[in-house]
Amino acid sequence: MANLRLENVTKRFGPITAVKALNLEIRDGEFFSILGPPGAGKTTTLRLIVGLEKPDEGTVYIDGEPANEIHPGKRDIAMVFQNLALYPDKTVFDNMAYPLRERKLPKDEIERLVQATAKSLYIDHLLKRKPAKLSGGERQRVAIGRAMVRKPKAYLLDEPLANLDALLRLEMRVELKRLQGELGQTLVYVTHDQVEAMSMADRIAVLNKGVLQQCDTPEAVYNFPANRFVATTIGSPPTNFVTADVRPHGDNLLLAHSVFALAVEGGRHPARAALESAAAGQALPEKVLIGFRPEDVRVSTSQANGCNVPAQVSVVEPLGGETVVDLRMGGDLVKAVVPPTQRLEERRHVWLNFDPERVHLFDARTGQRVYTTGQGEPFACLEAVH
Amino acid sequence: MYQTRPWQKVLRYFTIIIVSIMFFFPTYWMITMSFKPKGEWNSAAGTIYWVPQNPTLDNYKTVLTEYRGQFFRANQSSALPSIRSSIVVSIGGTLFALLIGTLAAYGISRHSTDTGDLPWYIAVGRLGLLVLVMLPFIVLWARLGILATWYGILTFTIIGIVADQIIGRVLGKYYKGAVGSLSFSILQLRMFPPMAILIPVMIMWSTFRLIDTWYGLVIVYGVVTFPFVVWLMKSFFDDIPKELDEAAVVDGSSNWRAFFKVVLPLAKGGLASTALFVFILNWSDFLVALLLTSRNWGTIPVFLNKLVSSEIGAQHGPKAALGLLAVIPPVVFGLLIQQYLVRGLTFGAIKK
Amino acid sequence: MASIKLDKLRKQFKEVLAVEGLNLDIEDGMFVAFLGPSGCGKTTTMNMIAGLEQPTSGDLYFDGKRMNDVPAGKRGVGFVFQNYAIFTHMTVYENVGFGLKVRGCPEVEMKREVGKIAELLELTPMLDWNAGKLSINDMQKVALGRSMITNPGIFLLDEPFSNLDASFRAYMRGELKRIQREIKQTMIYVTHDQVEAMSMADRIAVMYCGQLYQWGSPDDVYNRPVNAFVARFIGSPNMNFIECAYEVENGQGFLQQRKGGLRVPVDAKRRRLLEDRTGPNNLILGIRPEHMKVYQQPEPNALWQGTAYALEPLGPLTIAHTEVGGDRVQVKASGGYRTRPGDPQWVALDLEYIHIFDGETKLVIR
Repeated sequence: MANLRLENVTKRFGPITAVKALNLEIRDGEFFSILGPPGAGKTTTLRLIVGLEKPDEGTVYIDGEPANEIHPGKRDIAMVFQNLALYPDKTVFDNMAYPLRERKLPKDEIERLVQATAKSLYIDHLLKRKPAKLSGGERQRVAIGRAMVRKPKAYLLDEPLANLDALLRLEMRVELKRLQGELGQTLVYVTHDQVEAMSMADRIAVLNKGVLQQCDTPEAVYNFPANRFVATTIGSPPTNFVTADVRPHGDNLLLAHSVFALAVEGGRHPARAALESAAAGQALPEKVLIGFRPEDVRVSTSQANGCNVPAQVSVVEPLGGETVVDLRMGGDLVKAVVPPTQRLEERRHVWLNFDPERVHLFDARTGQRVYTTGQGEPFACLEAVH
Repeated sequence: MYQTRPWQKVLRYFTIIIVSIMFFFPTYWMITMSFKPKGEWNSAAGTIYWVPQNPTLDNYKTVLTEYRGQFFRANQSSALPSIRSSIVVSIGGTLFALLIGTLAAYGISRHSTDTGDLPWYIAVGRLGLLVLVMLPFIVLWARLGILATWYGILTFTIIGIVADQIIGRVLGKYYKGAVGSLSFSILQLRMFPPMAILIPVMIMWSTFRLIDTWYGLVIVYGVVTFPFVVWLMKSFFDDIPKELDEAAVVDGSSNWRAFFKVVLPLAKGGLASTALFVFILNWSDFLVALLLTSRNWGTIPVFLNKLVSSEIGAQHGPKAALGLLAVIPPVVFGLLIQQYLVRGLTFGAIKK
Repeated sequence: MASIKLDKLRKQFKEVLAVEGLNLDIEDGMFVAFLGPSGCGKTTTMNMIAGLEQPTSGDLYFDGKRMNDVPAGKRGVGFVFQNYAIFTHMTVYENVGFGLKVRGCPEVEMKREVGKIAELLELTPMLDWNAGKLSINDMQKVALGRSMITNPGIFLLDEPFSNLDASFRAYMRGELKRIQREIKQTMIYVTHDQVEAMSMADRIAVMYCGQLYQWGSPDDVYNRPVNAFVARFIGSPNMNFIECAYEVENGQGFLQQRKGGLRVPVDAKRRRLLEDRTGPNNLILGIRPEHMKVYQQPEPNALWQGTAYALEPLGPLTIAHTEVGGDRVQVKASGGYRTRPGDPQWVALDLEYIHIFDGETKLVIR
């Protein structure tokens, strides 16, 4: 088991800064996921931890010890590469035995360990084959087996499921999570797929352009995204954003969109304080982004409790288990998730009804989340303000 | 996509046949010539002998045995020593180039950032600048009388390397793409045609007493073919994902072991084809061997050259016979490594 | 605009039968998706429609006119590929207008047409930009605009979104569907992603190994799959399969699980079907994760008791993997549902939504 820590780590490749002043702590026995789009610095972070790259600044700690100068082979960390990197000219057995042979273990011990690991991964019947003769899922298991066989302190996995077909990916997701639970070892999992990160990880670090955006549990990144980027990355379809003007209205604050407005009532509403502190210098920001998730809104043909906003159906996307509806709301395009049984025709005028307790406010300039209604008092809703 | 029309087919086969004739006829002519008696060698009499009328093995006897007759005053030995010489220096030069070239190629493939697609004017410009910078030194060294001494050559070489790197770095400021890199210096070696540097090499070799020795030839062959090895092997190493050696390193190997245990076995196909290519280059060299050998280590091409003189005339038959014998080693080598010559290795390791 | 008819279209590559006797009627203005895993023949079929491949046998008609021998350039077909083929040295305007320019269209008309397309694709502010400077997302829009400008009767799109990032893909799905509604052209969309096919298409052709498995609306393929393959391929998380046999006890018909012996009662209509069946009593029960419920206490309607195997919290919902009598099923639960592996769980099935497949032929029994 290992505790991995990156302290102020920066890595540059020529003019490109791949990882920028990154601070991360990965706890003992944790299933930790690093999520981000291509080029976010996820793979570089893994390579820094295992030692294939040296940080330009900052320190990598393994179990509290600075590890910058330790050779990758001596860090006792196993890595599964995105392309798996199985040795194509060696059999499955020789692939799995390789790390043990490099440690000069006795022959019968190697035999025993490889057999046991292969058995636990259900690949013991494949030991004599070469990687080219295996299916995608089998190769995956061999790569994981090669990492497992030497019982390392920690596992690093780089998009291990990216090239499998959809059904196999679902299956491996569950298997991997079970496996990690049984091994109880630290596991760092890099992915660009938010579903994988959400479904497997104990904690998620969201990276963008080499900068850490948020590091928290799946629930927290879903319910309280730190900024617009996280809110867009986590969840599918992504969070809807509309821009609203901030207008003082007596004691209250109006967050006015072209077709609706939210009212922050009273001078002591926590949202007011949050907006003021975000404005930095000015009393209040001029604009604010209102964010709400497609699954937190209902679409109906009549008005209901909560916040009713007039909208027009643009496109209906049935997905079977649910239906995604694209709506025109003033000049904005927003998405809503509705049950598959609900029939909505294109161009129809409907009411978008969102839960005022599940609304986020984001700073219009920086994209940082300023306030979430769920944690305090909800907003009052004013409809069709022009 | 669409069916080919009949006339297209006819044209295609016609072209194939013509090209085949162009390729195979010389071979046919050499083979038959080696079995023709002297009278059938040339068509001075007005008849062309398409097939040997009286096949004979005399030509082979002539080149393989000592012959002290009236025709061979200029060349009284058999071709056997030249065959030995060819084998020794070709294999030696190939091994030398492979040894240093493969290691260099691996280093460049894994650690160099240059793209290798420099515009030609940058490449030629760098070379031209180097020549310009070095010219005064040649004059100075000649004035000092040290141009052909070992320390003169050594100091000149060192100054040359330093100057080359400085020029590269200065150019690199104006053109991005690591012009100052070592791999570019290696590529640059290739831009010097061997012929252009042969006379200086001859002077150097005589200074170092390397003329007409097997190791003298091996060094020249090794150096001349070294860039080929680097650039061929680099492309083979580039095809091997670097994650494989990294996986080995993470699995506990040292960098050297990762190279020898993981990378090199995968590149053996490339290594074999590179070896064959370099071997053929060395084997068929004439110019270097002609200038750097005299009595003892003349190679087959040098010997072939001696089979014509004003006294004995052109010995077409023996030439063809020795030529045919000279074809054998590369062909045998090629057949031996045939199974490795397939370039597209299938990498089962890699998800595509 | 054009309707397309495929009549016993077949394509053979040496030993490989890529497409096998395909019959399809695609109406004018329809948005059609060819859906299947790689190697299912969807791209080959598209290439035959485009004229890039010649069918081995069978006929292809556009608007009732046989097209087999018409070269690709004369079929009036527009393409968008996965690798946004755009000219990076030209501006967005030049890229979009390229098709008209090579046809010698006057500048005034070109300006108007490009303006219309740019408006539709929301590219208007970028018209003067150099196309090479665009983001990948916008490049794909430009590629779309470039093939739209020539107003082809048929639009072929081969996995055009697979290089885009996830959130933009979700946005483009809606956009493409809207655009197709507005230009009303026949569109054929090739994809391996069932979400794209379901969300955009009017009709989906589910293909596998060169065969057409099902041709129907998204509603059809999702709710009335014709075989186990379609059932499992469509929908995410995918349908649960449980091997079982049909048994009768005390006048009541059951599906009895092979591995564990759990039972599912069947209604009268299904009972009739199962009893009329001949052949081995070898069935597959299929049920979607959203048609099941999972509880942590016994519930009157929860037929099956099992143990939690793994949990996948996805934000708005959680997938609870549960072991019931030796089979592993996935059940959709609420976003906040939490258990630990090994905990007891009870599973309820919505019997109205079960599918029964023949264990040998994998065809649905309906």
